[in-house]
Amino acid sequence: MAMSGFPILTAILMSTVLGLLTILFIPPEKTKLIKQVSLAYASIGLVLCIVLYFSYDQQKGGLQFVERVLWVKSLGIYWFNGVDGINLPMLLLTSVVLFTGIWTMWELEYRAKEFFALMFLLVAGVYGMFMSMDLFWMFVWYDVSLFPMYPLIAIWGGTRKEYGAMKLTLYLLAGSALILPAIIYLWVQGGAHTFDLFELQKIGFSVFDQKLTFVMLYFGFGILAAVWPFHTWSPVGHVAAPTAVSMIHAGVLMKLGAYGILRIAMTLCPAGLSYWSDLMALLACIGIVYGALVGLAQTDLKYVIGYSSVSHMGVVGLGLATMSVNGINGAVFQMFAHGVMTALFFSSVGYIYDRTHTKIIPDLGGLSKTMPVASSFFIVAALAGIGVPLMASFWAELLVFIAAVKAFPIGGIAALVGLIISALFMLRVVQKTFYGDKNPRWEHIPDVPGFLAVPRIVLVSIILFFGMFPKIMLDVIQSTVIPFVNRF
Amino acid sequence: MMTDFILFLPELLFIFAALLFFMFSLKKTADPAGFHKWAVVLAAIGLLVTVASSRQTGMLFFDCYRVDLFSQVFKVLLALGTIWVIFSSSELKGINPRQHAEYYFLIFVCTLAMMMLVSSVELLTIYVSIELSSYSLYLLVPMRRNADQYVETGIKYFMVGVTASGLMLFGISLLFGMAHTTYVPQLIKTLPAIITQPGAIVGLILALSGFFFKLALFPFHIWAPDVYQGSANQVTTYIATASKMAAAAMIIRFAGLSAGGSPGMIKLLIVLSIASMTFGNLVALIQKDIKRLLAYSSIAHAGYMLIGILSLSGRGYASAIYYAAAYLVMNYSVFMVIMKLADDGHNLQIKELAGLHKRSPLLAMTLMLGLFGLAGIPPTAGFTGKFLVFAAALEKGYLFLVIIGMINATISLYYYLVVIKAAYLLKPVHEYPAVHVDAWTRCMSIILVIMTIYLGIFPDQFVSLTEAAAKTLF
Repeated sequence: MAMSGFPILTAILMSTVLGLLTILFIPPEKTKLIKQVSLAYASIGLVLCIVLYFSYDQQKGGLQFVERVLWVKSLGIYWFNGVDGINLPMLLLTSVVLFTGIWTMWELEYRAKEFFALMFLLVAGVYGMFMSMDLFWMFVWYDVSLFPMYPLIAIWGGTRKEYGAMKLTLYLLAGSALILPAIIYLWVQGGAHTFDLFELQKIGFSVFDQKLTFVMLYFGFGILAAVWPFHTWSPVGHVAAPTAVSMIHAGVLMKLGAYGILRIAMTLCPAGLSYWSDLMALLACIGIVYGALVGLAQTDLKYVIGYSSVSHMGVVGLGLATMSVNGINGAVFQMFAHGVMTALFFSSVGYIYDRTHTKIIPDLGGLSKTMPVASSFFIVAALAGIGVPLMASFWAELLVFIAAVKAFPIGGIAALVGLIISALFMLRVVQKTFYGDKNPRWEHIPDVPGFLAVPRIVLVSIILFFGMFPKIMLDVIQSTVIPFVNRF
Repeated sequence: MMTDFILFLPELLFIFAALLFFMFSLKKTADPAGFHKWAVVLAAIGLLVTVASSRQTGMLFFDCYRVDLFSQVFKVLLALGTIWVIFSSSELKGINPRQHAEYYFLIFVCTLAMMMLVSSVELLTIYVSIELSSYSLYLLVPMRRNADQYVETGIKYFMVGVTASGLMLFGISLLFGMAHTTYVPQLIKTLPAIITQPGAIVGLILALSGFFFKLALFPFHIWAPDVYQGSANQVTTYIATASKMAAAAMIIRFAGLSAGGSPGMIKLLIVLSIASMTFGNLVALIQKDIKRLLAYSSIAHAGYMLIGILSLSGRGYASAIYYAAAYLVMNYSVFMVIMKLADDGHNLQIKELAGLHKRSPLLAMTLMLGLFGLAGIPPTAGFTGKFLVFAAALEKGYLFLVIIGMINATISLYYYLVVIKAAYLLKPVHEYPAVHVDAWTRCMSIILVIMTIYLGIFPDQFVSLTEAAAKTLF
């Protein structure tokens, strides 16, 4: 199969690789230039992703913008990229978070060259994983996106950074200890001649193989998706990471795990999914409730967001486990909505932390009086986290819970209770941090300057836009999910 | 006659180089800088000739010696390893200047012996070649300046080595007794019929153990940490890179003898592989001396390589060749940085890497990529090597073994990260002397970085090359 027209997907990927290479050739002391170059390459990616999103033909559906070249002949590895309704929102999300993340880090001076180079390496992995349709490349990109996290957290991080970085890296790469054998196992069972996802899908593996590889892939990717009880790396890592890394990490990287489950495990092992779906739903519900409960007890703003992420990623897992159109639609939408929302969360906390050097809730207080704009960003994110109507996540959670209550009545209701708890703790955090008595220590701190407000405004407007017009995204997702679910 | 001459040309060149340095060693005055120039030129010619003759095929010396793609691929790797080591010997502070001529002499002899080893297809020729290379190394190891501290090293290496070759000789005699021939091509025909008999299995395993010793596979690994630590940095590099290539080649050659193998033998190899990976990685976790750490990591890598070999299939052997080549590149990257940083010849501690990213960003990057490669992180050659090895093993259904291999790769990541952390994160406790990076080292670093990534991302040609090489085994 030849490439048809301009290889836009490879171009998106190359925007990060070229960004990385360009930064390597800039002398380290020219931090201003490095940031400008980074932002330029990130915006190329953003523009290409927006073009891609709106030129996807939802009437036709299926895989589009396909690029397929034989890469390693004797193993059957293909350079095979394509987009459908599931990875299209993910690519858009990645480009948005990269763009706003780099802008958020505009004030970084310490070892800026290495920071932005590693950011581009990380995002190259994320883009690659989302667009690739070849199991070999998916794994390669998956790992490429993980290991830059170590230096990014260990060098530029905050609280307990070395511990957090090491824990996160080892946990996530332990996950790939399950993924790689599962992938190769499927390749062998499929006749050892192709890593092409869609050709493997046609083969139809035996039920035993499906059950075995599904559970391996589920736990392997589940670690990255912060599935309870493998979530413990996640809050620690979030807290330790610098702002932009938290944004990419919680906003995009965790989605990579859920995406892997959906794209590889559920596509290739539908029988495995129906066998293990009860376990998936159970772990997801525990994650939702547990994340919310632990979040209640936290005093560190970033820990609060970290545990709310565990809870929200549980919603994604629950949606996938329902095996229904609504559930998977909701799950994919939730991946997008949660990504934008946590990016906003970390971005706004990042500003507060940069200025006050604390993120302990009792030390803050009354911030809405001293910095109303910065506070409003956090409050919008908190409202989105609760799932208030008009926010993108409202629709996502609604869809998931409709499907979940139908498929798993008890679990679904338990998860709903978890959601109420999470609303409680979000409101508690907002109240303690931004309202109440003004802390005189922070009175002199200026509000967000206009330039630094731009990325946060972009994120707020995306949340509101897809909250008001969810159809724009749901139609795209649905065009792929309906044929996908019909296969079960 | 003329064609025979051409077939043997790479070896002849190394014989010439060795003789030349033998002459130099007889001179009264030593000229280390001059020796180094000579050695670099000779090794470069050696590499060029080896590459040029890489497509040669033919038989020599009463069919004891076969030149084919398999042997030529390994000869290129050996010549590459040799020139890299010689290239890094410009500041050979770890060895007395009076002995530099002997050092180069022994390096060339050892390379010659290993080149003969990978081409030998007759058991006694193999034995003679392996002894020649071993004895060169027995002499190189204790050559280090103030060797009194490291006397134990030389003796230990010698004792373990001699024991291993005794076992090997016993194994060879058993094989001869069972098959009534010492020629490998005939063994390939006769052995499969008798491979289930205890004598043949024991013979094959014992013959293999001589090479397991060279590869530092568990339980023949005990020399590795001490020798790595106790030898001069350049000698360690040679042992860790070039000599492993020959060992890998011969294990593949002998494993090829067994055709399908017997279940008992495969089980034994699986146990050895798991023990080697697990032991190497766990002990490496607590090392402070970087050469010792790499010694334990080499034990673990021997285990990974064995995973490919024990699948006893064409794809398995090809993957092991690929793995060996990738290992050569990545391991040399790490050792080159070590030799550069410890240019006075001392043993580098991990904490001495502190602040390397400031002292020399290029060396820090070379080190990082080399270590990530060893840890098996894509998109490096190390990952692709592991991937191929695991794919070959899973094709035979060894899912459990592959999962253990992956868990081990995760464990190993910890200690590689500790080294990377030292280079990129730690603040130096006191000022370390500035690193002097000359233009050659700069070029070399860039070449190694590009090779590591290129082999990882574009493996197609290399995979087909190794598969073609593995086919010539049968």
